[in-house]
Amino acid sequence: MATPLLEARALVKAFELGGEVVRAVDGVSMRIERGEFVAIMGASGSGKSTFMNMIGCLDTPTSGQLLIDGIDVATLTGDDLAAIRNRKIGFVFQQFNLLARTSAVDNVAVPLIYAGVGTSERRALATAQLIELGLGDRLQNSPAKLSGGQQQRVAIARALVTGPLMLLADEPTGALDSKTSQDIMGIFQDLNERGITVIVVTHEADIAAYAKRRVLFSDGHIVEDAMVAQRRGEGS
Amino acid sequence: MRALSATLASWGVNIRIALIALRTNLLRSSLTTLGVMIGVMAVILAVAVGAGAKVTVEQSISALGSNMAIVFPVPENDGGRRTNERGRLTERDARALERQVYGVRAISPQLRSTVQIVVTGRNATTSNIGVTPGYSIVTNILTQSGRFISDADVRTAARVMVLGPTVAKKLFGEFDPIGETVRLNQIPFTVIGVLESKGSSFGQDNDDLALVPLSTARARISTSTALGPDDLQALFIGFEDGVSLTAAKREMIAVLKDRNRVQPGEINPFTIRTTEEFMQESSRVTGVFQMVLVAIASISLLVGGIGIMNIMLVSVTERTREIGLRMALGARRSDIRNQFLVEAAVLCMIGGAMGLAAAAGIAALFTAYADFAAPIGFGVSVGSIIFSAVIGLVFGSYPAIRASRLSPIEALRSE
Repeated sequence: MATPLLEARALVKAFELGGEVVRAVDGVSMRIERGEFVAIMGASGSGKSTFMNMIGCLDTPTSGQLLIDGIDVATLTGDDLAAIRNRKIGFVFQQFNLLARTSAVDNVAVPLIYAGVGTSERRALATAQLIELGLGDRLQNSPAKLSGGQQQRVAIARALVTGPLMLLADEPTGALDSKTSQDIMGIFQDLNERGITVIVVTHEADIAAYAKRRVLFSDGHIVEDAMVAQRRGEGS
Repeated sequence: MRALSATLASWGVNIRIALIALRTNLLRSSLTTLGVMIGVMAVILAVAVGAGAKVTVEQSISALGSNMAIVFPVPENDGGRRTNERGRLTERDARALERQVYGVRAISPQLRSTVQIVVTGRNATTSNIGVTPGYSIVTNILTQSGRFISDADVRTAARVMVLGPTVAKKLFGEFDPIGETVRLNQIPFTVIGVLESKGSSFGQDNDDLALVPLSTARARISTSTALGPDDLQALFIGFEDGVSLTAAKREMIAVLKDRNRVQPGEINPFTIRTTEEFMQESSRVTGVFQMVLVAIASISLLVGGIGIMNIMLVSVTERTREIGLRMALGARRSDIRNQFLVEAAVLCMIGGAMGLAAAAGIAALFTAYADFAAPIGFGVSVGSIIFSAVIGLVFGSYPAIRASRLSPIEALRSE
């Protein structure tokens, strides 16, 4: 059996809040194989975002084990984690998180800076990625001159530009209208069909419906984990 | 090679990021830069003014005469031992020194007093010096018109006078005073020459004086009853070029000690100062002056640096979310730290360059309007820019390190 892309073993994240210990993620174990399209669902406070942050190497578990591509992240240094975030994971956020007053191309090129790619190569890769996402005519636009859907496409281009193994999207359609949301989810499906593992955190059932597998969080535990029939998007 | 070019490229990127960030908060950046600019300007000007003062002092001293010793009939103030004994210096001492000390070019024995010189309708209060022709040689001064006091004038105690340009102008305006008669203590003197101008030294007008023959001063002007018939108030001795003033001073002390029969342990009844000593003392004084100036100016640079630190802390706080994002996209802690260090350094270097330009402008104004050279050297220019960058790195390091230590997820969540 091949190494799973991601394996969580009894993962716990505990916070101290007003003298009380809150276990946002309380002993979660799960495996995600290459090529999966997973929707992580749950009400707010269910621990789904905390879980997502841990598998994205943005947050460290209080206890338990997390293996990414077979590597135990607990053994990694800060720079190693930065390299994993840079090369193996692409993040997509609810609020897009693009740099203001910075062109689409330069926004997409940011991860390449940290990958040590030279200036001209950065531009070429970022431009190609934007063209692929249908933004070839918006290369020099700053975020303020782009619609929400276009901004999220720029953000997806940025997530993809280093050629990651998986895409982590936290409420990627939370700030978009339903039509644009369908487009974005369609893009995720296309990417998934091309072999990229996609993990989407959402609280909306109709967004989760685009995924192949649905994992439901409640009070820090997984209460449901099932393969589901995939709804087709109307993306690119 | 690839690693190096990648490093250079990432610095280039950091500089671009810094410029974007600084442009975003243009007013704030400008005000912060202003602090550094004023600090750098103050330090550069302090260095330049100090250097200028040194040059001015050296010029003032060489205006007195280049290789010269001055003997005063004032008991030496030796290490706090004070004495009420009167000093002694006579014309015979002067002649003995001229004969016995190696390398003497000329001597200028002097009697000094403050007098009022009168012509019809005008008068001038000035310092009157009784001199011999040696004065012209020792102090390296010539007349711009007429002639200097001659040996014959001294021998005959002639009632002749050579005026300094300031006095000449006060009494006669633009009119040529040669051959005119002036009165001093009711005694008529004939003006035989006007000295060339020697400017001013230490804020004192070197041209405000009137010279008469030494013998005339002794017989007719000097009112001090304390003076013996042979006494002098000062003796200037000019030495040949290349003569060691230290050695000459030693010889002079030996001659004068012998003549005055100074016993071992007794205080010398005379004081000798050389131009070399003036130079050393004044360079010590101007050195201290320059250090004090630079120290004061450094305080403003320190304040500027604190301003940098303050604004960088604000910038880090404001951009916490951006820091989190960059970390999510793969920035290492060192990348974040470098980004903010570069931003602080760029901010300071802009301030430093502006400060340098402002200092150069003010120095040019000094030179143009105050006739005071405040030279800004190439080393100071380059040094100030580098120093500004260092200020940025020093004061920017705490905010930068703070930024790099943020937790990625907390930074990303912040508003």
